[in-house]
Amino acid sequence: MVLLSSYALGQSTSARSAKREVVLWGLSLGPDTKGQDAVIREFENRNPDIKVKLLSMGAGRMDPQKLMTAIVGNVAPDVIYQDRFTISDWASRGAFRQLDDLIKRDSTSDPLCPTEKQYYSATWQEASYGGKVYAIPTSSDNRILYWNKKIFREESAKLRAAGLDPTRPPRTWTELLAYSKVLTKFGNDGRLERAGFMPNFGNAWLYMYAFQNNANFLSSDGRKCTMNTPEAVEALDYIVKGYEIVGGYEKAKSFETGFQGNENDCFIVGQVVMKIDGDWILNNLARYAPELEFNGDPAPVPDDRFNKKGRFANEKDTFVTWMGGFSLAIPKGAKNSEDGWKLIKFITSAEGRLIENRAQAAWERMRGRVFMPRQIANIEANEASSKIFKPASPNYAQAIDMHTKMARYGRIRPATFAGQVLWSEHVKALEAACYKKATSEKALQDAQVAVQRELDAFYDKEKYSVIDLKAPAFLGFLGLLGFFGYFVLQFAKARIGRLERHEAKWAYLFVSPWIIGFLLLTIGPMLASLFFSFTQWDVLNEARFVGLKNYMEMFGADWKSVSRALSNVAYLTGVGVPLGLTTGLAIALLLNTASKGIRFYRTIFYFPSIVPVIASAVLWTWVLTADPGKGLINSYWIDTITKWLNIPPPGWLQSADWSKPALILQGAWGAGGGMVLWLAGLKGVPTSLYEAASIDGANGNRQFWSITFPQLSPIIFFNLITGFIGSMQEFDRVYVMRPSQDGPVGPDDSMLTPTYHLFNNGFAFFKMGYASALAWLIFILVMIVTFIQWKLKDRWVHSEISS
Amino acid sequence: MTEGILYSIASIATWIAFVLAVLFVRDFVLIVASKSDRQLGRSSMAGGGVALVLFLIGVVFTKPFADGGFKLPIFWYVMPWTAWIATGLLAYAIWSIGKTLSAITRTEKSSGTLNAVVALGAAVGMAILYRTDPDNKITVLNGGIPLSLATIGYVMVIFVLAMIAVGMSANSAKARGASKTIATQLGLLAGSVVFGLPFVFLLVTSFKEDKDMSAKTGIIWVPRVTETIPYINPDPTKKHYVGQFNGNQVEALVIGDENGKLKMDIFRPLSVRGITFFTTRDQLREVPVDAKVYTATVKGIPIKGFEKESLEDGRKILSITEPVSMKDKEVTLLASETEAVRHIGLRTENYSEALQFMPLETSGGLVYLKNTLILVVMGVTGTVFSCSIVAYAFSRMKFPGKDKMFTILLATMMLPGAVTLLPQFLIFRTLGWVDTLYPIWVPAFFGSAYNIFLLRQFFSQIPMELEDAAKIDGCSYLKTFWAIMMPQIKPALAVIAVGTFLGAWNNFMGPLIYVNSPEHMPLSYALQLFKGDRTNEPGLLMAFTTMTVVPVVAVFFFAQKYFIEGVTLSGFGGR
Repeated sequence: MVLLSSYALGQSTSARSAKREVVLWGLSLGPDTKGQDAVIREFENRNPDIKVKLLSMGAGRMDPQKLMTAIVGNVAPDVIYQDRFTISDWASRGAFRQLDDLIKRDSTSDPLCPTEKQYYSATWQEASYGGKVYAIPTSSDNRILYWNKKIFREESAKLRAAGLDPTRPPRTWTELLAYSKVLTKFGNDGRLERAGFMPNFGNAWLYMYAFQNNANFLSSDGRKCTMNTPEAVEALDYIVKGYEIVGGYEKAKSFETGFQGNENDCFIVGQVVMKIDGDWILNNLARYAPELEFNGDPAPVPDDRFNKKGRFANEKDTFVTWMGGFSLAIPKGAKNSEDGWKLIKFITSAEGRLIENRAQAAWERMRGRVFMPRQIANIEANEASSKIFKPASPNYAQAIDMHTKMARYGRIRPATFAGQVLWSEHVKALEAACYKKATSEKALQDAQVAVQRELDAFYDKEKYSVIDLKAPAFLGFLGLLGFFGYFVLQFAKARIGRLERHEAKWAYLFVSPWIIGFLLLTIGPMLASLFFSFTQWDVLNEARFVGLKNYMEMFGADWKSVSRALSNVAYLTGVGVPLGLTTGLAIALLLNTASKGIRFYRTIFYFPSIVPVIASAVLWTWVLTADPGKGLINSYWIDTITKWLNIPPPGWLQSADWSKPALILQGAWGAGGGMVLWLAGLKGVPTSLYEAASIDGANGNRQFWSITFPQLSPIIFFNLITGFIGSMQEFDRVYVMRPSQDGPVGPDDSMLTPTYHLFNNGFAFFKMGYASALAWLIFILVMIVTFIQWKLKDRWVHSEISS
Repeated sequence: MTEGILYSIASIATWIAFVLAVLFVRDFVLIVASKSDRQLGRSSMAGGGVALVLFLIGVVFTKPFADGGFKLPIFWYVMPWTAWIATGLLAYAIWSIGKTLSAITRTEKSSGTLNAVVALGAAVGMAILYRTDPDNKITVLNGGIPLSLATIGYVMVIFVLAMIAVGMSANSAKARGASKTIATQLGLLAGSVVFGLPFVFLLVTSFKEDKDMSAKTGIIWVPRVTETIPYINPDPTKKHYVGQFNGNQVEALVIGDENGKLKMDIFRPLSVRGITFFTTRDQLREVPVDAKVYTATVKGIPIKGFEKESLEDGRKILSITEPVSMKDKEVTLLASETEAVRHIGLRTENYSEALQFMPLETSGGLVYLKNTLILVVMGVTGTVFSCSIVAYAFSRMKFPGKDKMFTILLATMMLPGAVTLLPQFLIFRTLGWVDTLYPIWVPAFFGSAYNIFLLRQFFSQIPMELEDAAKIDGCSYLKTFWAIMMPQIKPALAVIAVGTFLGAWNNFMGPLIYVNSPEHMPLSYALQLFKGDRTNEPGLLMAFTTMTVVPVVAVFFFAQKYFIEGVTLSGFGGR
């Protein structure tokens, strides 16, 4: 038997070498993702000649930059797990393979083959673009109203007094606000203690309310943005009104920063009584509060809709929800798309979905946890799954049931290539209206204009003529050759002796690495990027010559972002650099006076500056967590500053006002590098100056400002300049520390830097032309500042020691 | 508003009163100790009087005893940046006026006046700017630091002791020096605590259980681990077995029985998890599960027991171990009724589990390290060789066009990398180098302007005689460079090597753009991906973070000198 089994194993290993590989990106892989593993392994079992290679890579919210560089670089995966909402965007760029032919081919022969009718219609629509299918939906999510039954019961007297029934949830918009008003509690100091309902807490956004009010953000042909319609304005007004009940958006947001996780979740502890959220919250709720008294019901709808009056008189669905979820697609250029398709068919089939849930359920049980089945896009699988895996606790079972029911009434975000812009503009409009910076109408109008610009750019591109990039590339190459030839000719003609010529030949050989590097990696690319800045090109399709359009956009339509990035640089340079310098100087002064332990202290202070920047950023993301139960800084903040002055702990990376101070703090931790520089500078100040000063009777303070400080001014000036250049190019730590990997860079773009903007435009959206224009803006600004430095250095600073 | 301003003025008065009081006591002690100096006595008395008056003002307007305890008054102004700058300028103007008044020479007077006028003007300008936005408003926050009697007592004791020390050291210069040393050391110590704390936080978090990551009472600094006892579940479908799969030891569950051939489902190690295989019972060994120990109260009796099983609805079945009278009995309890038994300890599993998470292709993260090392070694080699040879030519050899070339080189020193980013990507794409490490290290072999410039300075300092002697001996240029010149600039090369090492270790944007598969991924990028996947497991994340920091720390301790010299040489401070 042993022999036999080892023989079998030997067989399988030798067979493995002949296996075809399918590369799948985007699944999140963890100790608890047992279900995923099971379905993949089962696929391998059934197809012994295929091996699946899983890469987590951005886990579902596939980093657009990663996928795009892979497609463009011709190293695309065979299958990609992708947020459905982005499918149309990718499809419009021709980055995904169309699947209709495969479906048509297999729908009769293969029982696993997905067809439209097996899926909730919203999910299938979302995976299509222009009438063609580009992805097969896997999961599905939808949003319902969660309400805390216990608090409803506790407050039943008050609710009854207001004419509300404490035994059922609100069903209309008016009711929802009435309930919220009764259930919201303020403390003596006017701060929120309990919020009845916060319209955008959980996961609702404007989309949910807009769908309920039958607002469409896009015309049916996808060419016109219709954000500013009476329906959408009404929905946004409703959100604003909802926030007024809890004391305004600002108050609500600062209330939210105090929320904690796990067993202290705000819904569990009753800080929030009602919220609109998706089924993904059930898992954690069940884990930390298995006995929680709550129910899930359809989110309240506009009164007319509920009563089927007015423009809703002929409305079929009373309650609707917003649906999203993930899907599997095949990127363009996939090497093994046939096996990839086989894998997709298996994973998305009802059988595959149930294998996954079964294995996941078994795993959770083994770990001593409750299994909460998630919503599936495949109708058969979803209905079976919510029956088979029905939780024992009736409250949870009810909520899952409600989600399953609501899946049939799903609405989706419009399928458009401008989906990302639509999303981020909608967020901006929502915030502007809630902060009362603009009326709902004005905010939506602004968003509409921004989205329309994106739509127009896409449809207008035919206006510009296509150019062949080979010609300019060839010309550039010729130019380089010509330059080189001219150089050789000059050298041949030069009147120098034999020995000198010999020396010069060697010298050219020696400097040749730099010359080659300069020509191929510096000046060549620079000129190329200058050329690109006059084009519109996404690498996958042909380039078009657009003249000065990119530059005009930079100072016109996109000026908001560009100016935001520049003002961020000004902030980081103006506040961050002086702070870093002062910290460094303070330590250096202390160290300079210390007689013992200098080496020890120097090591400690210097140490943070060599911690790899990514590691430091990861650590500081955690240090700066807003939750005072987790974040190092806020846990002390709440014990001191909040106690003393009643200032709530800041939201740091989650807040537009505090994200830059957060970056600066993280940077100041590395100020020890500067300290070494100061120490060297301090040692360089001639002691004779101090001696003369103390004879003249100058005290320590006076000595510092009159001698030390001027003597150190070259260092200060130099650091301000390099600090500015550094802030212009700030990228790594912002990438790691920004709270979400898509949408604005930091809340309200508060962490956007010029280089980040370039990176996003270049590698995430592949707007090569516009990104090149940005590159030249950065280049020119840096050159101007460097030039000023060279010119003014001698006038502004005392530079006896620098010379 | 007026109330707020009064409060702030009174707070400042209180604080000044405290400082004056301390000075008064010090002077008093000095007078007693040295038994002399009337002048000092009089001024100190005056100071004491002023302190008393200020303190009374403070008490009247800030009511520090209002809530039955004592509160040290503090305040804060919440205002827009324009107002802050205006305030700063105003303060500077006042300071300048004070300086002008005390100035002796005419030039000092005039420059002081000028400063004050300019600062005042700018402050007014800022104030106008502040007024332009109608939304701008200033809020005064009044507050106080509550001090308990015990705290005040401690402070007093320390204060009295310090005063005695001052009195004793009054006549000794040596003692005065000592007090300065102590103050400096205290300052440095406090500073190093602040700088060291995030790092300690990293280490402690990397050894914590998930449970301790968040606490209402503040950060948990002492990690604890849950107590477990080994337990073999009698239910054969729940037993954990150790078996052999492909020659590796794996942990698995039995999920089926086909005529004595058992179907096994692997759950550990993670890299082969989910694979099923067939085996026979004699190939398997039962292994105990680490069952968590809980305490609870059942019908008023406190019990201790281990978790046999947990139910669908979150309830737990405990097998009682204590008290002895109830031993081996079972109780079913709600999760909220039980409490895990924990003791102080380190959860080292965070480290092993973090490694288990790495994709199979990376052999537990070793491939990441290998890739980073490739980047470091190739980067350092390339930079050191290319830069030194180019710098040598620029400093010691003559050739037509040298000055022009060097000017160009200087001009590219400040060139932002952003300008060449996109076209470089297109070039490397054409070469088919996407998803390889080449685009990241190959450019190092073409020199970098800054390092060339730096090394040229070093070469220029070497006396010409050395080279001349070599030339007379008939050394070729290459040999002169290699055998004579290179050894002379070893320290500078070390500095550059260390700098390049850090740069290569930290390189993030390069891998982010070019590398996709784990086989080619360096640590920095792997860490970022790990962070994205493991947001809910900070223990593992911090463990991996620590692991990426450790090699750098090791290099740092061996080459500390060059790190620090590097900062001085390059002139770049911090980030």
